[in-house]
Amino acid sequence: MNDADLIARYNYDEFVPEKFGPWMRFGESPPLGEPAPDFHLWDLEEKETSLKEIWSQSKYTVVEFGSFT
Amino acid sequence: MNTIAEKYADQGVGSIFLYTHEAHPGEIYPHHTSMEQKHQFARDLRDILGVTRPIFLDVLDGVCHRAYGSMPNMTWVFNRSGIPVYKSDWTDVNSVEQALEYFIDVARRRRDGQRLAPFHAERLDYREQDREAFYKGLERNGPKAVTEFKEAFG
Repeated sequence: MNDADLIARYNYDEFVPEKFGPWMRFGESPPLGEPAPDFHLWDLEEKETSLKEIWSQSKYTVVEFGSFT
Repeated sequence: MNTIAEKYADQGVGSIFLYTHEAHPGEIYPHHTSMEQKHQFARDLRDILGVTRPIFLDVLDGVCHRAYGSMPNMTWVFNRSGIPVYKSDWTDVNSVEQALEYFIDVARRRRDGQRLAPFHAERLDYREQDREAFYKGLERNGPKAVTEFKEAFG
């Protein structure tokens, strides 16, 4: 799968099981208790940061993933 | 979730919202095709849903979201070292708050001199299903989102 295919599949254009189903992968997510992967993130002013920068600032950091729905 | 973010902010707990992809793309908020659009939708989400926590985005292919299981509304809690200590495949404020209370109490127990070792526990939590609010969210994205959800789940 090339980058364009991945972007199109991840940002599926209709909510049908064959398109959203493959992304429901919680069972494959990182385990608790082991270092988690870090990623670049951007704030709403498009300033770059990272998950690591964010979680380093607090004893605990709550990260809610979501969208309009 | 905004409420518990404010409630626990002075106890060393940070909270963010990570905007991902539109789980139910519609005519008004369709699937993402550019980062400019993703940023604009995230700003709209802040204003329309009233998210007061800092909002962040990953890249257009959702590499961060995918790495953590790509569920539409999951919540993770990390400690300062980047170790995940809580994860749930759906966001429920009661579940998250119970977890925070537990971890804050762990810190207190350690301060009191208890020697504590981590272990893994699993638990099935329960969330309230607000069908009316959910459908309002779908309608916000557009009629297509409502139709497709009904066709998928009846």
